[in-house]
Amino acid sequence: MDVTSFDDESLLRLIQHKQDGALSALYDRYQRLVYSMALSALGDSALAEEVTQDVFLRVWKRAETYRSEQGKVSTWLVRITRNRSIDMIRHNSIRPEAHSVAWDDLPGRDPVDDHNVEQAAELTQQRQRVRRAVLQLPAEQKEALALAYFQGLTHQEIADQLGQPLGTIKTRLRLAMQKLKTSLAE
Amino acid sequence: MANGEHIIDLIPAYALDCLDEEDFLQATEHLAHCETCREELRVYQELADQLPLALVQETPPLHLKQTLMDQVRQKDNQVAPKGMADDRPSWWSRLTNLLQHNAPVWGLAGLAVIIILVFSNILLWQQFNRINSSPLPVIALTGTDFAPQAAGTIVVSRDGIHGALVVDGLKPLDEHLQYQLWLIRDGARSNGGVFSVDTDGYASLYIDSSSPLESFDSFGITIEPTGGSPAPTGEKVLGSNL
Repeated sequence: MDVTSFDDESLLRLIQHKQDGALSALYDRYQRLVYSMALSALGDSALAEEVTQDVFLRVWKRAETYRSEQGKVSTWLVRITRNRSIDMIRHNSIRPEAHSVAWDDLPGRDPVDDHNVEQAAELTQQRQRVRRAVLQLPAEQKEALALAYFQGLTHQEIADQLGQPLGTIKTRLRLAMQKLKTSLAE
Repeated sequence: MANGEHIIDLIPAYALDCLDEEDFLQATEHLAHCETCREELRVYQELADQLPLALVQETPPLHLKQTLMDQVRQKDNQVAPKGMADDRPSWWSRLTNLLQHNAPVWGLAGLAVIIILVFSNILLWQQFNRINSSPLPVIALTGTDFAPQAAGTIVVSRDGIHGALVVDGLKPLDEHLQYQLWLIRDGARSNGGVFSVDTDGYASLYIDSSSPLESFDSFGITIEPTGGSPAPTGEKVLGSNL
């Protein structure tokens, strides 16, 4: 059975029943998202590969823990990837470097190899909206955002890392998120 | 720090999980009893979850997928409960035993024919998939009040008259009952096949229709006596409208 056109939730149901073709299809669909996120957090391709593999192995073993009421499958994957990446940063004592986060400034150049065209189209559209919103932020807000989200640093840790007052970092992050909220609501 | 009675200013950082301990405790305590702030947090969490979409999308090395799939298959083989849950011989070994014991010559000839058919079928499918890579139509089935937790998906094959149904969340039935799929057009219902679900409520069914599946108005699944009925008689558990 060709499962490449199945939606994400159908693929997860098949993965629960240990159909490896469904995992292969889900991997093809989200490999770039997971790997890029891990690479941004860790700044090391070997570690990013390890995280990517861990994330999909976890999906294989624990697909039944996904709850659709808590968000989309892509959101679930993003949260697993973020947690796993931050665990690895802490475990390996990796020094955070905001510049390792590569925000995309050339929207629309993604390869689309998803056989589920509707889902691919929806994801592409969503990416473009988020990129446009992030691109509008000042560089210092993007930098603070990257350290908080991808590398899991607290306000104080970011302030120490960047040598800025704590209040300044709090303001940067709050303004960044508020601007993103406004941009994406338009 | 807090904005009036609420903690609006802390919520963006709470969603990013970057609050220091004191602020985190204050926010957590407030969120426990403030629906307004919880809703605001939900919005910001959704926003945070979208941030990876703004990254340059890098492609992992090709070997990574192969390594992953090898690990998955290896683990699957390791956990296969040999001799526990299912000691029955496979359909293949039963078939070969039957042929060997009852008619050795015809058995071997039959096996050869089966092997040729299987390989030619695979080759045909590969050619077909290469020729046509357009997306396949997918039809969602939702649970009725009788089975609100159930869900189903029908994927229509490229020829339009075959399809695959996958259902989940249906209650396992007694031996004398089965689920039956109905293909509905202009109020007339034709049989799409019967199936039973496993203990997890999951089943799949291959659909073989005499006319294009997308020409039907809707699809429904009811509970019927084992083997199916000429027309629906039992409770409807899943349905769709195209």
